[in-house]
Amino acid sequence: MSADEKFFAWLDGELSGAEAAEMEAKVASDPDLARLAEQHRALGGKLKIVFDQVAEAPVPKHLIETIRPPARVIDFQSAKEAREARRAWHPAAQWAAMAATLVLGFFAGTFTPRYDNAPVKVQDGAIYASASLNQALGSELASAPAAGPVRIGLTYRDQTGAICRTFTEAKSSGLACRNGARWQLHGLFPAPEGQGDAYRMAAGMDPNLATLVNSTIAGDPFGPAQEKAAQRRGWK
Amino acid sequence: MDQSLSFENGLIELLPRLRRFAHALTRNPADADDLVQMAIERALRSQDQWQPGTRLDSWACRITRNLWIDTVRSRSRKEAFEAPPEEGERVGTDPGETLEASADVKRVIAAMQQLPDEQREVVALILIEGFGYKEVSEMLDLPIGTVSSRLVRGRTALLAMVGER
Repeated sequence: MSADEKFFAWLDGELSGAEAAEMEAKVASDPDLARLAEQHRALGGKLKIVFDQVAEAPVPKHLIETIRPPARVIDFQSAKEAREARRAWHPAAQWAAMAATLVLGFFAGTFTPRYDNAPVKVQDGAIYASASLNQALGSELASAPAAGPVRIGLTYRDQTGAICRTFTEAKSSGLACRNGARWQLHGLFPAPEGQGDAYRMAAGMDPNLATLVNSTIAGDPFGPAQEKAAQRRGWK
Repeated sequence: MDQSLSFENGLIELLPRLRRFAHALTRNPADADDLVQMAIERALRSQDQWQPGTRLDSWACRITRNLWIDTVRSRSRKEAFEAPPEEGERVGTDPGETLEASADVKRVIAAMQQLPDEQREVVALILIEGFGYKEVSEMLDLPIGTVSSRLVRGRTALLAMVGER
């Protein structure tokens, strides 16, 4: 350790015992060294004062929140819609949502709706339109509503190129897209409690269904002429 | 107390010090808070590398300093090279910045900024943050003699620039 280093080590309290005592005596007997010690103490104090301003300033919120994120503010309506839209995509979860209205029964490892007029059936892990819904989706036009239990809403081509149609029936509304010769269900949303045929006739689309349409549609919904042409081409 | 909660609390309590250290290292307040942000993100990711019972402050300062070496310092150098000369004096001269700008403060900050990086970090850790020589030598992976000699050079240069009478 050089003489300078020893002096500063003493100044910083790094020396102890005999070494510290020796340096202290040296500084006390040397006015230049004593003055230097004083100058450096003042410099250290000044550095502390200047940079302590930073330590004493309020800490930016984003730094605290990086360590401890604030409790997330939940937008219940958005959360519900997002949850239901996700559920709509997932056949198994979708069935859970439907259980209240469709009353499911289990038969030898597979399950089918026991409710006779259920609009859907399960096959190979996917949900398809049952005969009555299949018939309505294939033959009905929104521009020429039929008197049957199913009412067709929008028809459009989705981002995979398949033709999709929204529908409303007595107890639910949903989205079905053409898969080969069948209509595969991509979403089915139960009617609100206590609403039956009135629901079918209601003009407004279920918000969950609207979210699903918005997330899958490519381009605009078909107009009456496009809808009719698509029907003529066998919904291809 | 849950260990990770205590780690988080410890980091939050350290934020004012980490900001002070980062301001002493870097050349402008925006870089300083960027540096602290990166440091706490890294600290959170590396939580399992911190030994409970050891000093969280030296661990966090070491992370901050290493990040400064790796990222912020090189960026600041690039900007200083590209920016007009007065840009280097921006810290402390802008009323909107963190530090109150008196002539004395400006002189101290300008002097710190002129120190070579290896002296500035030692000055910041020992004279501002109050760490001991041995702690700093471990933090920087340097022999204690190197820490000591850098400190002597750094504070001597500072005194000459700040002009203590």
